[in-house]
Amino acid sequence: MLKEILLPDLGEGISSADVSEVLISPGDNVSIDDIILVLESEKASMEIPSEEKGVIKKVFVSAGDQVKTGEILIMMEVSPGPKVTKEKTEEKIAPKKQKDQKISTTSKEKIESETKGKTFASPGVRRLARELEIVLSQVKATGPKGRITKEDLHGDIKQKMAQGLGVSIRVQPKIDFSEWGEIETKQLTKIQKITGDRLQQAWQTIPHVTQFDEADISILNTKREKLKTEGQKKNIKVTFLPFIMKAVIKTLKEFPSFNSSLDYQGKNLVIKNYYNLGIAVDTPTGLIVPVIKNVDKKSINTLSKELMDISERARLGKLKPGELKGGSFTISSLGGIGGTYFTPIINPPEVAIMGVSKSIWKPIYNHKSKEIIPTYTMPFSLSYDHRVIDGALGAAFTSFFSKVVLDSTTFD
Amino acid sequence: MLSKKHIEIIIIGSGPGGYTAGFRAADLGRQVLIVDKDPTLGGVCLNRGCIPSKTLLHIAKVLEEAESLKNMGVGFSKPKIDIDGVRSWKSKIVTQLSSGISQMAKARKVQTVEGEATFLSNSEIQIKSGSKKQIVTFDNCIIAAGSSSSTIPGVPIDNKDVLTSRTALDLVRVPKNLLIIGGGYIGLEMGTVFSSLGSVVSVAEFLPNLLPGADADLVKPLARKLKKQFEEIYLSTKITSVKPSKPNGLTVTMEKDGNTSIKKFDQVLVAVGRKPNTKNIGLENTTIIINEQGFIGVDKRQKTNVDNIYAIGDIAGDPMLAHKATHEGKVAAEVICGLPSEFDAKAIPAVIFTDPEIAWVGITEAEAKEKSIPYQKGEFPWAASGKSLALGRNEGKTKIIFDPDTKRTIGVGIVGPNAGDLISEGALAIEMGADAEDISLTVHPHPTLGETFANAAEVFEGTVTDLYIPKKPN
Repeated sequence: MLKEILLPDLGEGISSADVSEVLISPGDNVSIDDIILVLESEKASMEIPSEEKGVIKKVFVSAGDQVKTGEILIMMEVSPGPKVTKEKTEEKIAPKKQKDQKISTTSKEKIESETKGKTFASPGVRRLARELEIVLSQVKATGPKGRITKEDLHGDIKQKMAQGLGVSIRVQPKIDFSEWGEIETKQLTKIQKITGDRLQQAWQTIPHVTQFDEADISILNTKREKLKTEGQKKNIKVTFLPFIMKAVIKTLKEFPSFNSSLDYQGKNLVIKNYYNLGIAVDTPTGLIVPVIKNVDKKSINTLSKELMDISERARLGKLKPGELKGGSFTISSLGGIGGTYFTPIINPPEVAIMGVSKSIWKPIYNHKSKEIIPTYTMPFSLSYDHRVIDGALGAAFTSFFSKVVLDSTTFD
Repeated sequence: MLSKKHIEIIIIGSGPGGYTAGFRAADLGRQVLIVDKDPTLGGVCLNRGCIPSKTLLHIAKVLEEAESLKNMGVGFSKPKIDIDGVRSWKSKIVTQLSSGISQMAKARKVQTVEGEATFLSNSEIQIKSGSKKQIVTFDNCIIAAGSSSSTIPGVPIDNKDVLTSRTALDLVRVPKNLLIIGGGYIGLEMGTVFSSLGSVVSVAEFLPNLLPGADADLVKPLARKLKKQFEEIYLSTKITSVKPSKPNGLTVTMEKDGNTSIKKFDQVLVAVGRKPNTKNIGLENTTIIINEQGFIGVDKRQKTNVDNIYAIGDIAGDPMLAHKATHEGKVAAEVICGLPSEFDAKAIPAVIFTDPEIAWVGITEAEAKEKSIPYQKGEFPWAASGKSLALGRNEGKTKIIFDPDTKRTIGVGIVGPNAGDLISEGALAIEMGADAEDISLTVHPHPTLGETFANAAEVFEGTVTDLYIPKKPN
């Protein structure tokens, strides 16, 4: 049986990707899970495995092509299907490189079968959708009895523009900078472009408040030194980050509204009973935020190993799309670099983000014992969505966090 | 001398698909050349199909209605039929429409050429007009070369008494005895015409039913009437040979259930379907792919596998209907002009212009059963329609097929006078996703045949008051 292999949904709103490598050619035998293509999307590179066993008949893409979700990539003869019923039409009809639409032999029949289905659009709406390049199945229908109306299409466009997903309109005059000296033009990377759009959207649509605080991490530091030495023997690099993550989890459990999202209508707060932390990672091509799942169920050592793995792969651009989604709270740590405080931008649909700065030893005056105690302190910031979280709660969160890091059982 | 020229869009065929595509493209600012092997524009539909047949069917219908007045207390003497007069009336209508197209072409500056178009390659077409040949290169080409009558083995198509729909419509004479081979829509329409002009008509159909493809309940009233009107209807019957007999006429050998019988007819009309005109246009010199059904394969934008060549109408797939071709023609023209058009119609209506007419759109009951598509239906018998009874008719029926979940209209079937005009509302209902109450709550004028459409929806909903349907015991 001939089977078309289509580009699967890559998730994360990624609708297209570039083919970076084609690992098979017509005539090749492939087994299930053999890697057939390597794609590079805005955020990650990913390997597309074969879901079938069989022989490659045709390859419709080559390196450098841009492919869209649902596009035909490969035609393969799937075994163990009986080869007697050779599907002649498709084989005959499919041209070498038909990229947009499949040629259908019984075209009208297929259209008629689409008469069913819950959403509905009249011919005029269908035409407008084509003009606006809107996929009807992705539009929310508000017309009577589930009909998609022209207003729905306009609404869809407006919403997309508000989200900055469309063309980002930058009112910046064209300036010839070379007038004042030598210049060099460098194209933004894909990651920079997509991150830029998302940050701009977050910054423009979420009312941010940033709370600053300082935590005494002397106890954390002692514990870390210990695990660091032990880890070195096992080749595990133990940084501050897993400790901060554990402390954040404990704080999130106390303040569940920080581990939430607003629903799409902005009417309900969705509180999450899982704890997946996004970790901002700086890579040569731009900022990327992989997600560590179920942090509450993992030990410092496990987290350290995962962090090593994920940041390595992030730098190599080898993260899978699934590893970039599902976060419930994000930590951005500049502690290894420097600076005191900064105001991180929330990573929607999350509602809060913690920014960690460089820890320093500080003399702290204890007025009871009248002593100056050298204390290892960590400055940190918390940006939160003021639609969901009030100032009092924000300050309570950072205070609680500062207390939690003083309790060594937090890190067990 | 071989002249060479370049054109933005060349269209092969000037039928309803071809001229529509050409005019649309011209209206969108393109330079268009239409080639047709006929001297008159309009293709089969206008010259030898829809239009002449409907002109004659109108005459047949009025003749029959006049005859039926005797039941209403009005009698006419037997009508005198002047076949030359009928022919020239038909030709007048055809000429009027065809010259209308020519004038519109001129007004739009669309060039037209009479000649045979043959592809020399994916980018060159030779046009042969008489002894003159020229080569045209093009940016885009739309193939709208249509279809022609199919033939069957054993039937000598070159015999002057063996007609096709094309030669039959020339109306050279009215045969005394006519056998129509094929009980599809063309056969039954032509049979109706000749029968009312005075021929004794018989029909032979290979399949066990007339009008294969239409729902049996819709065909029934027509079949009942044709049984009376026609001499004989041979079903499940195969024509094995047609031979000239002496001194004139034809000897026809038929086979049914293994039994052979021999009958004599003055003329035979072959109406066993149509085949796409993919031969003789030089497709072999291109890389255009013909699919296994024999049509040129196209995508939703009517594009073939060759990037700048499009195909529309009969040559691009079933159903072979003019209204499908015109819509496809617009799509092809708009796509070429950069518009995001697609042929995405949910349903294409089909009409048989017999008396009674039969029309359907969307999913038929037979199709729903065959493909296990769940459905529910509402039916309204025209015996309960005041308008129908006033016309002296009671055999009609309007049937709406609904999706059981959404109650949306997915198919409509109508039999009765003017069914072809009534079906448009069904097509609109499908395209707009109208459900039963959308239809029943729309006020339909009384007394009309169109009212039966709302009545059928009311039957489905159980709100009908023009019928008494006893409640089912719970």
